[in-house]
Amino acid sequence: MSSSLPPNANAQQESNATASPTDGGDDPLLVVEDLHTTFSTDRGEVPAVDGVSFAIEEGEVFGVVGESGSGKSVTALSLLGLADGARVEADRVSFRDEDLLAKDERGLRAIRGNDISMIFQDPMSSLNPVMTVGEQIAEVVRHHNDIGESRSLFAELRRKYVTGTSESSASWERAVELLETVGIPDPGDRAHEYPHQLSGGMKQRVMIAQALAGDPDLIIADEPTTALDVTIEAQILNELLDLRDEFGVSIMLITHDLAVVRETCDRVAVMYAGELMETADAGTLFDDPRHPYTRGLINSIPRTDDDREWLDAIEGNVPDPTAKPSGCPFSDRCGAAFSLCGEPLVGYPAGKSGHRTWCHLYNDAVSRDGDEIDHVDEMKAKQHIEEYAAAADGVPYRPDFGSEYA
Amino acid sequence: MRRYVAKRVAHAAVVIYIVATIVFFAVRAIPGDPARVLLGGDASAEAIAALREDMGLTEPLYVQYFRWVSRIFQGDLGTSVFSDQSVLQMLMGVAEPTLSIAGLGMVIALLIAIPAGITSAVKRYQWEDYVATGVSFLGISMPGFWIGIVLLMVFADQLGVVPAFGYVSFRQGIIPWLEHIALPALAVGLPYGGILMRMTRSSMMEVLNEDYMRTARAKGLNGRLILFKHGLQNALIPIVTIAGILLGVLLGGVVAVEIVFGIQGLGRLLIASIERRDFPVIQGAVIVISFVFVFMNLFVDIMYTSINPRIKYGGGD
Repeated sequence: MSSSLPPNANAQQESNATASPTDGGDDPLLVVEDLHTTFSTDRGEVPAVDGVSFAIEEGEVFGVVGESGSGKSVTALSLLGLADGARVEADRVSFRDEDLLAKDERGLRAIRGNDISMIFQDPMSSLNPVMTVGEQIAEVVRHHNDIGESRSLFAELRRKYVTGTSESSASWERAVELLETVGIPDPGDRAHEYPHQLSGGMKQRVMIAQALAGDPDLIIADEPTTALDVTIEAQILNELLDLRDEFGVSIMLITHDLAVVRETCDRVAVMYAGELMETADAGTLFDDPRHPYTRGLINSIPRTDDDREWLDAIEGNVPDPTAKPSGCPFSDRCGAAFSLCGEPLVGYPAGKSGHRTWCHLYNDAVSRDGDEIDHVDEMKAKQHIEEYAAAADGVPYRPDFGSEYA
Repeated sequence: MRRYVAKRVAHAAVVIYIVATIVFFAVRAIPGDPARVLLGGDASAEAIAALREDMGLTEPLYVQYFRWVSRIFQGDLGTSVFSDQSVLQMLMGVAEPTLSIAGLGMVIALLIAIPAGITSAVKRYQWEDYVATGVSFLGISMPGFWIGIVLLMVFADQLGVVPAFGYVSFRQGIIPWLEHIALPALAVGLPYGGILMRMTRSSMMEVLNEDYMRTARAKGLNGRLILFKHGLQNALIPIVTIAGILLGVLLGGVVAVEIVFGIQGLGRLLIASIERRDFPVIQGAVIVISFVFVFMNLFVDIMYTSINPRIKYGGGD
C-alpha cells in the first residue's frame, strides 16, 4: 500500500472539506479519505474503487449499498490490505489514531481479526472444511490474546494433527463461550463439529463468533446474509445488532439489499461503479432520497402495497470499469442527465447534517423543478464545482455526519 | 467403518478373481505353448504332444480352469512348468526387491513432489515455479527405464558411488540395501513424482484461491501458518486419491527398471515367464500385482477419511 495523491483526487476529497465542523465529539473509529483501489488487467487499469471517503463512528452500523461490481467488497478488503493484486492509494485510512496505509503486512496482521475483523458472504466456503469450528475460533483467540498458548507453526501443527486442541485450554473455552454468545445450542459439542455438519445459519454464526474472538472494535460484514434463507437472514442481522448493543462494536455492513439497510443501518453510503453517490442516515435516505440512482434503487424494491404492474427497473447496465463515462459514472443510465454530468463529481450537502449527494442537480447554479432542468448557469456551476474541489485542500477533516449517534 | 472395510475387502477379492480369470484365458490365447518352448525347436511332434498331455494342457479349457480355481482356493498357485518350483515360493523370492524399489520410489516421489508442488503454487510464475515445473516436465517425459540408464551411466559408471547391478536384501544391512535400490527407486520415482508435483501444484493453487484461505488471512494469521495449517490438508485431498491410482504406473515402471538394473524381481520374473509361456507363474505374478494394487487403493481410501472429515464411510450402507 502506498499513500499518494492521484491527479483526480480533489473532486472526491471535497466530501470531507465542505463539512462544516460539527460537534461530532470524539474522532470517528475509522476514517477513509479518497480511497482508490486499482487492478491492472490485460484490458487495462480497472479502478474498482475510485475516490471513496467515509467515516465510521464508534458503535454505529454503517451500511454500504450498491449493485454487484460497485466496489463495496473491494473497499472493505482494501482497508485490511486483502485486495490481492490491487494498488491501493488514499489520502488517509486511519483506524483510531493508527495509519493503516503505513502498515506493512506484519502490522496489518496485528489489526486483522484483532481490531477489525471480517464476516464473509458465503459461510459454506469461508470456513475451513477440514478444521473443527471450535479450533477455527480458538486460533483467533490464541493469536490475538496473550494467553500463554504457543502459536508457533510447530505448536499449531502438533495441536492440529497430534494432540488436538485441549478442551481445558483457555482458547478452546473461550471459543465455546463465543459459540454460546452467538446463540449456538450445545456449544461444547458443536465446537467439535466440522463446518459441513452445521446448517448455513449456524455456519454464519460461527463466522460471527470467529469475528468476535479477537474483541474487535469494527466488524466488516460483507453481504453476511446473501447466501442464507430469508428467515435465517433476520436472525443473523438481529444477532449482529445485539452484539453491537452488547459490546459496542461498530459494524460496516456491505449489502446490495436496501431492505437490509433500512432494518439495520444507522448511516448509509450508496456506491455505484466504485464511487459514492449519496450518503445519509438511513431514515433520511428512504424519506428523502436525492440522487437519481438512489431513487431508482428505492423504486425498484418490491412492496406489499404495490399497485404497480411492473417494478421500476433502472435501464442499462453498470459501465465497464475500464471505460467509465467521465464525470458522473451513472450519467449514461440517468433519466435526469444534463449538460453538467461530464464535469468532475463533487458531493453537494443537502438539508440534513451528513446528507450529501454526488449529483450536479444539486449545484446552486442549477435551477430546476424536480428533475426537470429549467436553467443552468454553466459558468457559475463550474465555478461552484471548482470551489468545492479547492476547499478540500488544507482543511482539516471533521466528520460532519453521525453526530446524532455519537 | 468396519463394515465398510469388510465390504471393500470382499469387493477387492472379486476384482482379483476377475483379473486372475482374464489372465488365465489370455495366456492360453497367446500363440505358442510351454511344451514347445521347454523342448526346443528340434523336438518331435510326438514328444511335444506327450509333454502337453503330461502338463494337462490337452484337457478342455474349462476343466483346466476349474481345477486351477479350486487349487487357488486352497492357497496353491501351482508349480512352474519350467523349473518345477512352487509358484508361491518363486514369487516370495522376487517380491522383496520389487516392493523395496516401488516403496522407496514412492517415498522419493512424494518427498520431491509435495514440497516442489507447494513451492510452485506459492511462487507461481516466478523462477522457483519455472524450475520446479520444468524438472517435473522432464520427469514426466522420460520413461523410467531411460532415466535408469542415465543414472547408471552417471552414478555407477562415471562416479562409481553406487553399485550398478543386482540386489541385496535389507537383512544383509540397510546401507547396502539402500545402495542397491537407490538408483532404481529414483528411476521409477521421478516420472511418478513429476505427475504428482503437477497435481500438487494445481491443487494447491486452487486451494490458495479458496474463500477459507482469505478468511484465514482476515483473521490475522501469518503466511506459513495459513499455508500449512489451513491449506495443505485441503490440497492433499485430491493428491491422495491420485497417488493411489498412479500406483499402477509406478508398478509398471518397476518392471522395466528391474531389467535395466539386473535385479531379479517380480517384473523380470513375469517377463521371463511370458517368454517361456510358463502359465502358472504368469497367473501367480498377476494375482500378486493386482493384490498389491487393489489393497493399496483400499488403504488410500481409508486414509482419505482421516484427511477429509466430510467423508465418512459406513453408516447406512
